[in-house]
Amino acid sequence: MNGVGLVLNFDTILVILAASLFGIFVGAVPGLTATMAVALLVPLTFYMDTIPAIAAIVTTSAMAIFAGDIPGTYLNIPGTPASAAYVGESHALAKKGRAREVLGINLVCSVFGGIFGTIILIVVAQSLAEVALKFSAFEYFWLAVLGLSCSIFISVGSRTKAFLSLLFGILLSTVGLDMMSGAPRFTFGVPDLMAGINFIPVMIGMFALNELMGYYGSKSEKKTISIVDNDSVFHNVPRHIKRYWRNLLRGSSIGTLIGALPGAGADIAAWISYGVGKGRSKDSAKYGTGHIEGIVDASSANNSGISGAWVPALVFGIPGDSITAIVIGVLYMKGMNPGPTIFMDGSGLIYALFIVFILANLMMLPIGYMAIRLSKLFILTPSRVLMPIILCFCIVGAFAINNSVVDIWLMLIVGLVAYLLAVNGFPMAPAILGLVLGSVVENNFMSAMLRTGGDLTSFFARPISAGLGIAVILLWCSPLLIKAYRYQKQKSERASL
Amino acid sequence: MRDVFAGIGFMIAGIVTIITAQQFPTLPSLQYGPSLFPSLVGGGFCIGGAVLTLNALWQRRKAAVQEVQGNPTLAASPSEKMSWAMVLPPIAIVFYILASDYLGAMLTITIIMFLLMLLRKTKIHVALVTSVVMSSAIYFIFSHYLLIPLPQGVLLGGSLPWIF
Repeated sequence: MNGVGLVLNFDTILVILAASLFGIFVGAVPGLTATMAVALLVPLTFYMDTIPAIAAIVTTSAMAIFAGDIPGTYLNIPGTPASAAYVGESHALAKKGRAREVLGINLVCSVFGGIFGTIILIVVAQSLAEVALKFSAFEYFWLAVLGLSCSIFISVGSRTKAFLSLLFGILLSTVGLDMMSGAPRFTFGVPDLMAGINFIPVMIGMFALNELMGYYGSKSEKKTISIVDNDSVFHNVPRHIKRYWRNLLRGSSIGTLIGALPGAGADIAAWISYGVGKGRSKDSAKYGTGHIEGIVDASSANNSGISGAWVPALVFGIPGDSITAIVIGVLYMKGMNPGPTIFMDGSGLIYALFIVFILANLMMLPIGYMAIRLSKLFILTPSRVLMPIILCFCIVGAFAINNSVVDIWLMLIVGLVAYLLAVNGFPMAPAILGLVLGSVVENNFMSAMLRTGGDLTSFFARPISAGLGIAVILLWCSPLLIKAYRYQKQKSERASL
Repeated sequence: MRDVFAGIGFMIAGIVTIITAQQFPTLPSLQYGPSLFPSLVGGGFCIGGAVLTLNALWQRRKAAVQEVQGNPTLAASPSEKMSWAMVLPPIAIVFYILASDYLGAMLTITIIMFLLMLLRKTKIHVALVTSVVMSSAIYFIFSHYLLIPLPQGVLLGGSLPWIF
């Protein structure tokens, strides 16, 4: 009951409502991502209580992921990367005059996916937390290494670039006083850096300033909508759901699973679910020409991915995606360390969090419906007016955390580096995971070594720790193993010919 | 070609990181000192940078061979042109850092918004009204509601209207 009381009060409900509108707006404007929305929100959440702060982040991210479908449908430009997988399908249907029908199905699938992911979170997290209670520095070390490794192997594109991006994040995490010796590292005589790199300016630099630079570096936008919509939002939804309920369940399950893997967020969940849907469909030839089936698969997957990412974040403190990486930073700032103990502290905080998830996803129905009706208004908001406002918000937001100009410099430097990396095809998610998990890896390694007198074999002395260690080694060997398997297969095929 | 430079950049960053890390003090009681992780990161930068560079060079060579063989489609690598305008946000931030103590946060962000909007061909009256209203709103939220001591500026001498 504590949890209900924490959520159902005027302040939290107001925050959820405001965050819904903010999330819908940011998601619906092409070029602004859900992660950017959350990064912009963090300076404000810093001044809120824990539950409204988390509620704001949960609601904003869920709404933004759905709203990303709106410009995807009307303009063929995904509002957020999570909509990119099925933007072709949506736009093809919109050109046939079925834009609202597509968005209606997007909305219902998003709500279902979000709630499905939340139910998995509620069921799995509790039992995982009981296992996690037995973990010591050895297990947490391997778990963090496993998380970091996943972020390299799951990322889209070059693994070398993902690896370097991850190292950049880890290097940032080493700035400040060393935990063991108290020696300052990479502080360059700046007192503000002694306590370590401030998380929020880095987030704003990486996800907001980087994207703003990308916007100004691109040619000016001309957004015109040629789609005419006179169809109903929900009229055909029951028919599609009845026909594709298996896709809905499969998309949600894949999304939750992919979301729970560190480094893979809603965008990868949508791509994989769309690919699986296409591979298993009887009508796979229709994919790409405007087929609802693929939309059901991927649209449920991206929202369930958002919820799934919270499983490792809450239970182990290992973020599942960039958004939960930001959340973990916020939780630490509020003195609430994510980990199994938050399930057992009796404060009802975790139950409040679950209620927030359900509430945010349910509120998506009316607010999403309103957004669909007003979609043209959102899409045509001129970025040339919006971007300077976001930039000023970033500057003031970065300053607000410590009232320090050093944080604005930090945002600027990290933003510049992130921009250079991003335009050269380096993914950003591993960098942010590196920043969050770098200190977890180092601190657990050091405390384990202190306990065992520097004996490295102790990392394989406990059964769970050894299991996790072997999983990490196998993951790193997987490209070689796959190559060897393919080579053997080709060789045997040639021999049989 | 960009990957070659990025790879070289990472290798240089790796060497600098390792050299800097070697200067961190070590304690005789600790087997692993504060330089361990930064050195590992530096080593990783060197290895990753080398792999990136060699890979890019190999791809270039492969593309050149294909061009010779009369298959230029694979050889041509589209190079995305970056506009100079991408430096506008960083310049605006540096301007804020340098000017806000004198002009005050509100006036500085108004100027930034107004100029950036004009540069992207926003109508002058829209740019003026939006920048004044939005900078006032941002200033009000942060300084009045969140109690952040944003610089008031020497120019206005703290004489902002009472609501701020």
